[in-house]
Amino acid sequence: MPEFEQRNGAVVAVSTDSKFSHKAWLQTPRKKGGIEGCKYPLLADFTKKMSADYGVLQEASGVAVRGLFLINPEGVVEAIQINNLPIGRNVDEALRLLDAFQEHQKNGVVCPIGWAKGKEAIKPSEAAAWFEKHAK
Amino acid sequence: MSIRVGEKAPEFTLDGVIKGDFKSVALKDYRGKWLVLFFYPLDFTFV
Repeated sequence: MPEFEQRNGAVVAVSTDSKFSHKAWLQTPRKKGGIEGCKYPLLADFTKKMSADYGVLQEASGVAVRGLFLINPEGVVEAIQINNLPIGRNVDEALRLLDAFQEHQKNGVVCPIGWAKGKEAIKPSEAAAWFEKHAK
Repeated sequence: MSIRVGEKAPEFTLDGVIKGDFKSVALKDYRGKWLVLFFYPLDFTFV
């Protein structure tokens, strides 16, 4: 997805389906419930080990719940969101998190509630000034 | 095995499909990049 690539990011999807099921889904048009044209990899966790390692395996059904993990360039987990089955995620929120962690990495600032790219973050040494300006 | 923020993500190497081709994909392929990794229950549902 270009929004992630522009930020030195990549997207990878995982389910406990087989790679053959993934391939069929990738060949199915969007209007038929498929994901034809999808550019990022779909991984087949057919043994369910990876889903168990990431804490998203629902043992009763054998499927993975809707987990999202943001992993930094050194392989360290920066953020985790796990939704139960009925509710999907939000691409904008994933991008917001990515922007926030990159802002922190680049400028040493911390990003408070509701922060999004373009808003002023908090410099830890000047936090008092930030609160003076932004607190309601 | 548990997963926590601030700790190394569990390693993985799995078969997958990229643009129609079967390919092996590992966590270490993404060193140097930010990785958004997401799980979903089943193909042919929403993600």
